[in-house]
Order: sequence, then C-alpha cells, then structure tokens
Amino acid sequence: MKRLTYLTCSLIVACMVAAMVGWSMAAGNFLIPVVAIPLGIIVILACRAQVDVVIADEREKRIRSKAALRTLEVVVIAGAIAAIILYSYVVSIPLTPIITGKMFLNGDGTQSMTIAEYKPGSAPGPQTLVRSTTIKDLNAMNESEAMTYCTYVREGFSENENRGLAGTVIGCSLAALLVTFGAFYLYYRKKY
Amino acid sequence: MKNRIRVLRAEHDMTQEQLAELVGVTRNTIISMEKNKYCPSLKLAYRIAHIFGVGIDDVFTYEEEIDGPSSDEE
Repeated sequence: MKRLTYLTCSLIVACMVAAMVGWSMAAGNFLIPVVAIPLGIIVILACRAQVDVVIADEREKRIRSKAALRTLEVVVIAGAIAAIILYSYVVSIPLTPIITGKMFLNGDGTQSMTIAEYKPGSAPGPQTLVRSTTIKDLNAMNESEAMTYCTYVREGFSENENRGLAGTVIGCSLAALLVTFGAFYLYYRKKY
Repeated sequence: MKNRIRVLRAEHDMTQEQLAELVGVTRNTIISMEKNKYCPSLKLAYRIAHIFGVGIDDVFTYEEEIDGPSSDEE
C-alpha cells in the first residue's frame, strides 16, 4: 500500500467514525462510540501495517517530539493565564457585580426590601444601576416574589460563575495534561 | 556535523530515493542530512556508512566549533 492510499483510507475511516459518533449522540446511543472508536483505530493500524514505504523515520519522530513539547509549553502557559483570569471573576471583588438589599419600614408596619444590582467594580449609584426589584411585604413574600428574588441573585452572578467554571475546567485539564506528561517522562527516563 | 553523503551518492550513482529506501528513512531525511540541517542518530549514520562500504568517519565529520558542547541543536 502506498502512503497516499493509507492516508486516504485513514481519512475515510476517520470520517465514518465521526459520522457514527455524531449520529449516536443525536440518537442517544452511547454504546456505538465505545465500539466505533477502537474499531476505527484497529482498521487504521491494520492499514498502516500494509504500507510498504517508510511513513515515519527518526527525523519525523524527533520533529514530532519537539513539536509536542513546544505545544505543551505553549498550551500550559496560555492555559494557566486563561484559567487564572477566568477564575478571578469568582474570587475578585472588583469583577463581581454588586448586589445590595435595603430594608424599609412601611407606614402600615410591614417591611419591604429593595434589591439592586450595580455594575462590577463601581460605587452603587443611579448611574451604575443595572436593575432593581422590590419585595413589598418581606414577611408575606409570595412564591412569585421568592422566585424573582432567587432568579435575580442567580442571574446576577451566573456570568461570573460560568467564567469561573471555565477557568476551573481549564485548570483541571492542564493539571491532567501535566500529570500525564510527568508519568510518561518518568516512564521513558526509566526506560532509557 | 558535516557529511559527504551527496558525494558518496554520486560516486555510487544512487538517487536520494534509493538511499532512503536502503537505510529505511524518508527521502526528506536524506535531503535534510545533505543540507546539514539534520544530524542523524548513530544507528542511521552507521547504516549509511555501511551502504557506501566506508567507515563512519569517511561519511561524517565532527567539527568542534559547530558540534561542541555549547552548540544548540534547536
């Protein structure tokens, strides 16, 4: 088998596996990817064994190892910066929206509360006000008002929480990447 | 590391493709070696010398200024 034939076969197999995985995800059948992906790898490896020309020699391996190391360095540095920036939206006070609650005593003896959201890092005031809501009688808060209050608080912080979650995911992925790299590094150091 | 692969190849009337096939590498690797861009492994260097029927010193020349400890392989 020639190199071009092998590459064509690999491409066709990869497309078929991707299509099957996509279809199974849409159909809600999670068993197909478990079978299709290893099967695809086996077919590609079988095709590779039939290739009668050199696909990858020592120069190719050296190029790949250097490219992999550079990729790891770039991804780790860029990912660490991104993770820190994104996670800072959760822990940083200036980046968090300001939500205040003010209670008032009404003339009829009931208590009302006004909840207001202000722009992140700004002093509470009419110019920095994003939105506000008032619960007329705090002690007789109905279900609708309670829901409004909960949604209000959740929505106020959701954007920052999503960014924080993305930062956490990136951070955990980087940690997993570094642990895997470390494991392989130790393995090859022992081998050679 | 300098080498005489191109000269030896010409002497043996051999193409880059033929040499690549004989030593088990790609033609690009032979091209890179002839341009002194790629320094081969000891195993490959011995294989090339063996194909031409000469010693490894007759194919590759170590140069202190280029290949010394301070040289950067990057």
